[in-house]
Amino acid sequence: MDLNPEIIVPVLFWGLYAGCIYILLATGLNLIFGVMKVVNFAHGQLLMIGAYVTFTFFVISGFNPYVLLAASIPILILVGVTIERLCFRPILGTGKLNEIFISIGLIYILENAAAIIWTDEWRVLHSPYESITIMIGGMKIPLDYLIIIATTAGILIGLYIFLRRTSLGHAIRATSQNRKGAMLVGINVEKMDMISFGIGAGIAGAAGTLWVVSGQVFNPYMGSIPAVKAFAIVIIGGLGSIPGAIAAGLLLGIAENITIFTIGGAWKDAVAFIILIVVLIFRPTGLFGESGE
Amino acid sequence: MKRTLGFILIVFIGLVLIAGCTEEQASGEELKIGVVASMTGPASTTGKDIWQSAQLAADEINADGGVYIADLNKKIPIRLVQGDDESTREGGQKAVSRMITQDNVDILVGGFSSAVVSAHQSIVAANKVPYIITGASTPTITRNPDVDTSYMFHHAPTCDDSGSQITLFINDTIRPAINAKFGFSADRPLKLAILYQDSPYGKGHQTAIKDTIAKNNLNIDVVAEEAFKMGESDYRTVLTSIKNADPDVVYVAAFLNEQIPIETQAMRDVGLNKIFTAVEPNDDPDFYKGVGKYGEYSIVQSRFSPYTVPKGPTEAAYNKFVTDFDKKFGGFPGMMGVATYEGVYIAAQAVEDAGTLNKTQVKDSIAQIQMPQMVETMKGQTINFSPDYRESKFDLTMEQLFWDGSVNETRPKIIWPASLKETDFILPDWFEPGKT
Amino acid sequence: MEIVKNRTTLLVILVTLLCAILFPIVSGNVYLLTVLIIMLIFIIFSSAWNFLTYTGQGSLGHAAFFGIGGYVSTLIAVKSGLSPYLTIFFGGAAAAFIGLFIGVICVRLKEWFLAMVTFGFAIIIQVLVVSQFASTTGGWDGVAAPPLISSSIPNYLLYEYYSILLIAVLILILFRIILNSRIGLAFSAIRENELEARAAGIDPVRYKLFAFMVSAYFAGLAGALEIHYLGYITPEIFGVDISFWPIIYSISGGLGTLAGPVIGTVVITLIWDSLQSMGLTYARFIIIGVLLILIIIFLPKGIVSLPEKIRSIIDARKRRI
Repeated sequence: MDLNPEIIVPVLFWGLYAGCIYILLATGLNLIFGVMKVVNFAHGQLLMIGAYVTFTFFVISGFNPYVLLAASIPILILVGVTIERLCFRPILGTGKLNEIFISIGLIYILENAAAIIWTDEWRVLHSPYESITIMIGGMKIPLDYLIIIATTAGILIGLYIFLRRTSLGHAIRATSQNRKGAMLVGINVEKMDMISFGIGAGIAGAAGTLWVVSGQVFNPYMGSIPAVKAFAIVIIGGLGSIPGAIAAGLLLGIAENITIFTIGGAWKDAVAFIILIVVLIFRPTGLFGESGE
Repeated sequence: MKRTLGFILIVFIGLVLIAGCTEEQASGEELKIGVVASMTGPASTTGKDIWQSAQLAADEINADGGVYIADLNKKIPIRLVQGDDESTREGGQKAVSRMITQDNVDILVGGFSSAVVSAHQSIVAANKVPYIITGASTPTITRNPDVDTSYMFHHAPTCDDSGSQITLFINDTIRPAINAKFGFSADRPLKLAILYQDSPYGKGHQTAIKDTIAKNNLNIDVVAEEAFKMGESDYRTVLTSIKNADPDVVYVAAFLNEQIPIETQAMRDVGLNKIFTAVEPNDDPDFYKGVGKYGEYSIVQSRFSPYTVPKGPTEAAYNKFVTDFDKKFGGFPGMMGVATYEGVYIAAQAVEDAGTLNKTQVKDSIAQIQMPQMVETMKGQTINFSPDYRESKFDLTMEQLFWDGSVNETRPKIIWPASLKETDFILPDWFEPGKT
Repeated sequence: MEIVKNRTTLLVILVTLLCAILFPIVSGNVYLLTVLIIMLIFIIFSSAWNFLTYTGQGSLGHAAFFGIGGYVSTLIAVKSGLSPYLTIFFGGAAAAFIGLFIGVICVRLKEWFLAMVTFGFAIIIQVLVVSQFASTTGGWDGVAAPPLISSSIPNYLLYEYYSILLIAVLILILFRIILNSRIGLAFSAIRENELEARAAGIDPVRYKLFAFMVSAYFAGLAGALEIHYLGYITPEIFGVDISFWPIIYSISGGLGTLAGPVIGTVVITLIWDSLQSMGLTYARFIIIGVLLILIIIFLPKGIVSLPEKIRSIIDARKRRI
């Protein structure tokens, strides 16, 4: 196997690109976990709903699909808030297995509702910039990918500014660090739960839009694989750590692609878990995780 | 606690009542066909095609008075029974056992995915019910040596048949075209890369390709064999790996949700300017819509195409079936659909030939059936089952896709076999042969 | 040794058992027999999964053990010609061995971490079965498994049913004995508070590993039974749905009770099958999904606690009047 730069550079770039969707999902999961200390295993299904929302609006309006981020994010925020109110709030603090159980219920509901509304045919949508490519460092890169990477970065930076610079962001971070303390200083923690779940879902919706614009096919069952990967990333990076998720997302994207190149594609899904297990053996709280939780 | 006891008793009595009431006796007044279809779960798109096509066939036969049974000296109608296998092994087992023992079906048709079918195979064998399998593509089902498979018939092209035809086509059409265009010597071997789904289906194709090359001593070098996980969406690295091996042709064994990103990413992202071949399940309207212009000049194998029909004896039946299906259910039935449609006709014909509903005689009659081909083109233009593994043999065609500005999508033209072709295979200008 | 707490519970159990024994004879219905056999196998599987939760552990990848049990038992039965009634125990043993291995990695981990590691193991093992071990396991093509009882014997399904019923009852009694012993006490001490348990001289690692092995053993046994019953094994057995079902059954029935997985499996299967016979397809999953969420929110102790809940509501009403 000759590993010349002509091959290594693209492989690394594809890894970076593949990491984007995972990072968006993982960031949302982490935000929710940080504040509520719950894990929504049905997060990938929110990605799927985001994809269909984009698709539907595209078919109706014919707008540039990137503009439809303005539709998928708010709609998914609403979906997220509803799910938080109806499903996760009642079981807050009743045991971790309950979250997994609620999530399984949600997966069934969301996937099959989508199948009833949109049928389970594979769908695909073509971006208006599909055929535009740009030469960067000897590689022909489709414009769409650059926009997607930029959008991802934009969303992450926006979230960072929101959490650091706004009073609502401060309140969310305070709740995330110390729920009881936040309650004592007069923060409405239940409202923070709702907001952070909404934002997490909204980011998943954005990931759904990006999934669709990149020309990927989708059907109601497409959400589970990205969600499982995202969850593995969250754990590898450390629960609740957003920088950890970003680092782990990139690490996984690159590791997967190197695996395909060396051992073979059959091992692609397994490699995420092999890394996960190895990391957990040496650092039971993940790479960037705080000890305790 | 008394209440709990009462509750248990009620459940028990209820179960007995349900059990007692729903069992149907074979009336002999109708031909009951059990349709094994994945109405729910990941395979439900195909399941719907299977069920609706079976309904169409049954309605047509019934409109014609039904199936004549010599024993009864009259025509009896067909009644379809739906068995949803839920795309799982347990679901299939329950559904099939219900159809056999509760509904007392006379014959079974359908069955998708070899994993699901192999899990209810033994109950079919134990009850000796004829089963025309129209959805599973791996040949393992009717070749399973540990079960009595004599009641099982395979009416779908197996990976073996489909893989060997593509390989022969690559050898006798693409190889000479490349050698001629680039001035290579006629004995230059064709460099083939295989990209297959890590599943019984993909593995079946991989084996078929290599067996065909070895058996016919074809001048083809397999330069790369890469697998991918079922449902994968990102192929860039595996395609880079293939690019590194520098083949002439990339043989892809994938379903359409995988074939679309493979061809798109190969052309647009990786710059793999090679000829791609797609296996027969991809010949579907969704494929053309999804692959867009990146499918131009690629090859698709076909047994039942939405956009082109082989000229000749099957043309009329094809048009009638597609129009009737669209009128009744809306949409395109797909290849599992058409095979099941034919399967119901095969069942009806076999029962009529046997002149009785006796399962053993019906089975013997299917084994000996000689039926003119219907919608799909068959070898020798007849539907019959091979004596060894009870497989019907299909005549598959190869199509090349050409851009059609009027629909803004590509459309297929038949280029192989010679007897059916509409046009010649074309090597596009952007094609780069592998370096020798 | 006291296995059953009071006479009414004993009575309920006996009546249930009597029903289970009489049912196939009274109804004489072959389809229901197949439904019941799969139900029994999943009762064993869910009970095995549930056993793990007594120590506060959970698993999202029990399909790994279910599948290993199925593969090892099948391969041994095929190679040696032994009766599947013997080889299922080897299948269980192999699953327990792998369970021990996974357990060693997992004992230090909690909740989601554990869930993810077990989930991942099911995927890794499937990849191994279809790639590295493909020459033994038949790869994606799978292997035909010898039946428990040859189908040439009349009423073979009835014998299979009774034998599986016997195995299931014996397993439940065994679980009862273990949980009533000092081990059971140690389990609940660890579940409630691991630090305190340690202070009381209980070694949590040993008990957690033991629970993991027992759980894996019987999950493997259940997998082996299912495979010999179905007659064929393919790598799809490691699928996510197989990992999910025991969770759904156990939690809806009632976590941490012996009756929970039994009742959960029976009730959910009955609802599932009757929804299916009503011709519901996607809606069936939605109804089950809603039901699961309702159970978790309003009946956190599962269906087992339903009579108690109803009684408390009635009592509350009475008091108000």
